[in-house]
Amino acid sequence: MKKGKRPIGKILMILMIVFFYLPILYMIIFSFNEGKSLTSFTGFSLRWYKHMLESRDMVESLYTTFSIALIATAISTIVGTISAIGLSKSRKIVRDVMEQVDNLPIMNPEIVTAIGFMLLFITFRISKGYVTMLLAHIAFCIPYVILSVMPKIRALDPNLADAAMDLGATPFQALTKVIVPQITPGIVSGALIAFTMSVDDFIISYFVTGSGIKNLSIMVYTMSKRVNPSINALSTLVVVIITVVLVIINVAPIVLSKREKKAEIGKHRFVVRAILAAGLLAIVILAVNLREKATARPFEGQTLYIYNWGEYTGENVIPDFEEATGATVVMENFDSNEQMYIKVANGEAYDILVPSDYMIQRLIEEDYLQKLDQSKLDGMDNLVDAVKGLPYDPKNEYSVPYFWGTAGIVYDKTKVDEEDLEQQGFNIFLNEKYKGDIYLYDSERDSFMMALKALGYSMNTENEQELQEAYEWLVQCVQTMDPEIVTDEIIDNMAQGRKALGLIYSGDAAYVMCENEDMGFYLPESGTNVWSDAMVIPANAKNPDLAHEFINYICSYEGAYDNSSYVGYTSANQEVMDELSGEGGDYEGINAYIPRTGYEKDEVFVYNADTKKILGNLWSKVKIAASNAK
Amino acid sequence: MKRFSQLALPYIVWAALMLVLPMALIAFYSITQQGNSIISFTLTLEHYAKFFTDPDFLLILWRSLVIAFKTTVICLLLGYPAAYFISRCGERNQNLLVLCVTIPMWINMLVRTYAWIGLLSEGGLFQHILSFFGLGDVELLYTEGAVLLGMVYNFLPFMILQINTSLCKMDHSLLEAGADLGANPVQIFRRITLPLSLPGVINGITLVFLPAVSSFFIPKLLGGGQYFLIGNLIENQFITVGEWNFGSAISMIMAVVMMLLMVVVRKVEIRNQGGKEE
Repeated sequence: MKKGKRPIGKILMILMIVFFYLPILYMIIFSFNEGKSLTSFTGFSLRWYKHMLESRDMVESLYTTFSIALIATAISTIVGTISAIGLSKSRKIVRDVMEQVDNLPIMNPEIVTAIGFMLLFITFRISKGYVTMLLAHIAFCIPYVILSVMPKIRALDPNLADAAMDLGATPFQALTKVIVPQITPGIVSGALIAFTMSVDDFIISYFVTGSGIKNLSIMVYTMSKRVNPSINALSTLVVVIITVVLVIINVAPIVLSKREKKAEIGKHRFVVRAILAAGLLAIVILAVNLREKATARPFEGQTLYIYNWGEYTGENVIPDFEEATGATVVMENFDSNEQMYIKVANGEAYDILVPSDYMIQRLIEEDYLQKLDQSKLDGMDNLVDAVKGLPYDPKNEYSVPYFWGTAGIVYDKTKVDEEDLEQQGFNIFLNEKYKGDIYLYDSERDSFMMALKALGYSMNTENEQELQEAYEWLVQCVQTMDPEIVTDEIIDNMAQGRKALGLIYSGDAAYVMCENEDMGFYLPESGTNVWSDAMVIPANAKNPDLAHEFINYICSYEGAYDNSSYVGYTSANQEVMDELSGEGGDYEGINAYIPRTGYEKDEVFVYNADTKKILGNLWSKVKIAASNAK
Repeated sequence: MKRFSQLALPYIVWAALMLVLPMALIAFYSITQQGNSIISFTLTLEHYAKFFTDPDFLLILWRSLVIAFKTTVICLLLGYPAAYFISRCGERNQNLLVLCVTIPMWINMLVRTYAWIGLLSEGGLFQHILSFFGLGDVELLYTEGAVLLGMVYNFLPFMILQINTSLCKMDHSLLEAGADLGANPVQIFRRITLPLSLPGVINGITLVFLPAVSSFFIPKLLGGGQYFLIGNLIENQFITVGEWNFGSAISMIMAVVMMLLMVVVRKVEIRNQGGKEE
């Protein structure tokens, strides 16, 4: 066949390359954007790189990703090769069975494999973290190595090893000097596949991680809800690392081969490349890891594990706390109380949790919390009276408030008629005038609160008839109004005025209103949910002393101010709340910042196991209905 | 020589623990009641019954299969010509192009998906291009199209690489022989190239279809919270609802459905190869 002119093929190939690289290029460009937007480039700046390097989580996620990939690749290549050689000499039945077993992770949907690993670790009480992630990666990489080594072994003369041993080689020598060199291409491609699978993996890592260990993909997944250009900076760094490694492993053998005997290098080309690549990545990892320092402070060298909501701590809170105590804080984030509960109930150990009211009640009832040592607490007096002694923990024996607020409607004053809000309250979410222009919040509790209040019921109702009506209300909403169901995505989207209205927590509304003055916040007359999130110490906490220290820091003026001014949620610290909402404060004139108190139709969530189960199921079904309505 | 077979022993133990046991656990959870331990438990089929008696769940499964099917077809239509073109290039270009297709896979899947958010969101590049053609204000992000795009983008390299591998293994003298015997290019493609590349196509289909059915982060990132596929349903059961037994049952159902589909695909492959030999 003639080579040369294939215009159609060329055009297709060029389009394909553009398709593959356009998003990556776009990301690289926007990593240098001065503004926060992902769509308009306002000027060149390195601020997101600075932001990324200052965030220990992000740098550590790089370390986790590449160190796991390297170790998993090395182990699975060695084990996979040896096992493949062994299997090739085993009886046929063993070979056939093992082939099917190897196919399990390859031919199963990834999520099934992931869940299998998760159930394995949890059933046998292996605490999840770096080691479990590594084990899982090794487990799913080995089959790929075997798959690519096996055909090369089959192609070998079966008498090769015998011949070597007849000539006086020990079995070990026969293996390393005769067999392995013959199958090197298979080993190398197996190692490459293993490395690719490990670096690329998200689903399996996501289900088997714990103790705050995040790799790159988990990092991006948890951060993707808010606009955060540091992700672009981090991704660009990955692109650069990969490119540099690739260039060097492709160029280095050429340079080396010019210096030394060509034949010699030719034979070891693959090995040289592999070693170079591994060495380079190892250097990067070490460079990242060598940033430790030490001086004498009260909690020097200790670690505090916090499980908190995403985007729920001030920028400097953690660094300042670490600076003051010498401790290291490992923070893991959750999206919902339910997600947090599952991890805690499965025995994962944290020192501090920040659940909401009804969840604290549940944790207390089910004995997952320990009583606070009041003698170690010094900040309770600073707190707002309205968030102390609430029904879920009347004497604050277990919990110290963190943030508090309400849930209401954020709306665009230029698009929404305020009369509609006043007349309809939450029923505005069924008003087809705003079809396709609304956000719902992806939380069973808050969505049902809205529906129940719209129908004039108590949000804590246990009456199944009323719950059913609320379910139908929500189904009607998702079927007729074409809403987007979001969590934290609502914050940046409303700040940019993307939709007319949405259900939102008051603290997020405060942030939105600061960013965009067209936005308003409305609390319906039918009443709403007054919530509070509070810090608690689980019964299985490993470092309760440090946890008390952290609670004190959050209650102090300094910690509370930093938290509230950055996040936008209402501080539980009276002084900070007054200052931020008062004259010259960050939230002066923002009605969302001061929660409505003393209104009789407002309620606090109460935990009820049966209702919870019903709500969980019904909410899944609402989301399914929304999806099926499309 | 036989003594080498002992080398496989540690791996057999490992595989039993790390590959077989997890699957057994999923099966176990799927037929026991919520809150049971592995020491005392009650067997039940209620989780399967719950799934199969609710049309909503079945519809979700069906829609996940449909979108994975669409993804696979698009990947095949784009991937085959691309792989064919690559296999026709000289060795140097061929290696370069294969590298170009591989690199995106080394840049993590989540990162690649995230990159599309900026491109597709309101006021982003794609909307500017569309409004240039007079199609302003088309919503791109959080639509089924965005989910499909994200899937094709993520899984297309698998298809290209698999097909390319099998095209490269092909014996080129067969093509010349065909031409010498008077076959026109279309006939050569249909009777020689296509059947010989079929194993690659089958592998490609497997590697695209499997992750496309179960992906839950692509729908979540590009489709929004109201875009719910079977993968999201499973994630939801495990991460927020906490009904692991029901989640395990859905996982089992999905694994079985996939296994059946793969058996069908393999059958097609075997039949085709049989046909070729006639």
